[in-house]
Amino acid sequence: MAKRRKPDAQALKHALTRANPHFLVIALMAFQVTAMLLLAFKTDTVDWQAIGFAIAMPIVSQVVLRVFIRLWPVDRTLLVLILFLCSVSLITLKDIARSPVTPGEQGVFMLLGFIVMGFGIAVARLRLNWRKASIALMCLAVPVILSPFVPGLGNRQYGALNWIQVSLGGFSVTAQPSEFVKPMLVICLAAMLGNHPGIRRAILALAFAAGLCGVLLIQSDLGALLIYFLTTVAMFYVATSRLGLSLAGIGAGAACAVIAYKTMPYVQRRLQSFLDPWSDPMATGYQIVQALIAIGSGGLFGMGLGLGMPRNIPLYHSDFIFAAICEEFGLIFAVCLLIVYALIFMRALTIAMNARTSFHSLVAFGIAFMFALQALIIVGGNIRLIPLTGVTLPLVSAGGSSIIGTMASLGLLIGISSLNAEAEVTDLRRMEWREGGGL
Amino acid sequence: MKRLQRCMRMVGILMLCVFTFTACWFAWTVQSQSSRWIATSYNTRLAAARESARAGDIYDCTGAVLATTDEDGNRVYNDDKRTRRAVSQTVGDTLSMSGTGVESFHAATLLGLSGESVFDTLFNPSPVKEGNSLRLTINAELSRYIHKEFPDGYDGAVSLINYKTGEILAMVSMPYYDPEELENRAEAAEASGSGYLNRNTQGQYTPGSVFKIVTLASALEFLPGVEERTYECNGEWEYEGGSVTCAGGAVHGTLTLEEAFAESCNIVFAKLAYELGAQRLVSTAESFGFNDVFQFQDLIVYDSSIDTQMPTVGDLVWSGVGQGKTLVSPLHMALIAASVANDGVMPSPKLIAEVITPSGSTVLRTQDPPYGRVMYSSTAATIARYMYTTVESGTATRAQISGYRVCGKTGSAQISNDSDAQTNAWFAGFVYDDAHPYAISVVVEEGGSGSRRAAELAEKALKKAIELGV
Repeated sequence: MAKRRKPDAQALKHALTRANPHFLVIALMAFQVTAMLLLAFKTDTVDWQAIGFAIAMPIVSQVVLRVFIRLWPVDRTLLVLILFLCSVSLITLKDIARSPVTPGEQGVFMLLGFIVMGFGIAVARLRLNWRKASIALMCLAVPVILSPFVPGLGNRQYGALNWIQVSLGGFSVTAQPSEFVKPMLVICLAAMLGNHPGIRRAILALAFAAGLCGVLLIQSDLGALLIYFLTTVAMFYVATSRLGLSLAGIGAGAACAVIAYKTMPYVQRRLQSFLDPWSDPMATGYQIVQALIAIGSGGLFGMGLGLGMPRNIPLYHSDFIFAAICEEFGLIFAVCLLIVYALIFMRALTIAMNARTSFHSLVAFGIAFMFALQALIIVGGNIRLIPLTGVTLPLVSAGGSSIIGTMASLGLLIGISSLNAEAEVTDLRRMEWREGGGL
Repeated sequence: MKRLQRCMRMVGILMLCVFTFTACWFAWTVQSQSSRWIATSYNTRLAAARESARAGDIYDCTGAVLATTDEDGNRVYNDDKRTRRAVSQTVGDTLSMSGTGVESFHAATLLGLSGESVFDTLFNPSPVKEGNSLRLTINAELSRYIHKEFPDGYDGAVSLINYKTGEILAMVSMPYYDPEELENRAEAAEASGSGYLNRNTQGQYTPGSVFKIVTLASALEFLPGVEERTYECNGEWEYEGGSVTCAGGAVHGTLTLEEAFAESCNIVFAKLAYELGAQRLVSTAESFGFNDVFQFQDLIVYDSSIDTQMPTVGDLVWSGVGQGKTLVSPLHMALIAASVANDGVMPSPKLIAEVITPSGSTVLRTQDPPYGRVMYSSTAATIARYMYTTVESGTATRAQISGYRVCGKTGSAQISNDSDAQTNAWFAGFVYDDAHPYAISVVVEEGGSGSRRAAELAEKALKKAIELGV
């Protein structure tokens, strides 16, 4: 009997974790190949890098999907959606970047990102005392976020001191530490706030988050600050269901924003360029005006791949990549991209709700929230719905730190989805036992 | 865990709402604003697109060519010098010197930048892209005539529209420029500074007495019995902090509201504004479109404004006679006159009659709905009657056209505190005729009294319009 039940369970496990998005995978690969071939033959001289991408991208997608599913029962639909965003990123960068370096680098970062994602999955599956581990994580997060202040290491970009630069024998690497701290923050908050926190643990968690926010404020990295702050509030609300306190937190944040506006001329300029970019279209409003022109030029269907001029937008490869996508692919595609972010968010939220412990549930929720929030903040900034803050469009904007940090977070999320699948199999098996016993 | 899930669901729903809102707002803002974004001189794409695409033609309502692209790819404008100049700011130019012209504001359509699908690009491999052509609502001959008849040596604007449909039949702004004489931006900017401004849509003028139409509408709607009263004018009225006098030191004696309007008595209207109070006067003005952000899809019209605070009595009473901080564009004034003629419904201005694709078919496009009802139909009828009296026996007798019911209101807007300075001459009115539904507004800068130069020019323009039957 026992021998026959085992393959049953195996089949069951497959059935549960499969939800096999074959069609999605094929569509994804077709998208990658056609877009890259279109770019390869855009001009008279054949672009061999694009052909390389056209061959490599479907292979990498298949390898990632197969390796992950072999190792763990992961959520494949989520993986396909993530691969889609990565493809959009590479295609857009290949299309608009002047040099082949940017898409090449981005491709390498994404490969690294998938390895990091594997680590993330493994970490999420560790059986640890997460509460103790999170203390260690906090101790690690503080020096990481403070690293830009170290003289010789810090590097100021676009008015924010949130970069570090390491030079090793002529080979220089820049990184944005706040991207790596994001998953740490989520884990620490989940460990501290999960499972009915006492007042002491809650205060410790909030103090940690507030400290990080304070550092980001000093670094004037307002976009990251906004994400850290709102994620903390959302996780606090979900963990404690104290709506009043959470709203009070948001109120306090709003009060701080008003104070920041009053005291920091930098913030005032940002708000001014948001409210009326056309009053100074060559200086403070330049970025947003150029972004709006690009979005408007794209219209409904876009100028077509390689036919627009998105290089006119400043920071077209990072902060304003959404505007560049609007120009090249058009409004309809851009809205679909937004829908993909919403789908990933919903999928991740399902994972959070199915998780078996409050820690895992909160981690999954925190990551889902942070991911969706970041997308909304930068898209809103690009289309002048909210003032612009310099954050990346997750997985699409060029930038190694952002890719790797996001991949680590998503790895944790996917790891939790694999734990869920296993737990469900165990549940079903137990039910089978019971029914078998009854008979 | 249950509680955790419930809270997560709440946050999840909230986030999905935010996603939906962002997507909707995004789609809406692109659809409604994109031509405004593209039509700036900071758009380097247009210059590039002009290199690679053949821009479509621009016609007037009769089909006369206002702008076209010749075989060498150069942009050429109407052969007749005067016609070209009369419509210069309306049509615009490829350098975007007149940034609100059709050449700039509708550049995406003319160059075929938007609305092109991937299939078009795939199946139409010709290197030169063809843009769409536009037929405008303006009449070149009428514009030319108004340009010719505009008093020599004066600046100003004439907007002539169809009061039923809002179609702009002529929009002449003085001084003018010649799009054929533009060589490059830097030179052009130096050559003729204010000629690029379309005073009809971008001008911000003090309305003076033509604003009494709005004050009258407010009084008729908020002060019952205002028509039956009689008023006293002894040339000067002292309010707390100053005094109002009538133009030219006139003393009108005892008069009815209709006579006060026809004679343009400042004292009666200042008293009416005082009686109405700032709140009611501003609310009527705002329903007429003051302080609104105009977002018409055919053309850019600068916003008109009225002071909402009016801290002193002086601000209030002077606003009642159209002085003070009130500013209006001539096209908006024509729309206000149109709303009187159109039973109290203000039309939206229309400039594009048709979009014609390179293959010759007409593009279906959505039209702006009427701006809205700005007053009761009975109020509009009363104002129309008063405006008729003004033309028949009041200040605007020079606007009479025999055989037609011309209604109008003149204005002489003071633009400086110096009492010797010339006033801006205004006229706003319409021909009450179903076959010739024309509304007009005329401004002659420093043209003196509105009852002379402005009313005369309006009469000529309306007569020509009737003759052409546009």
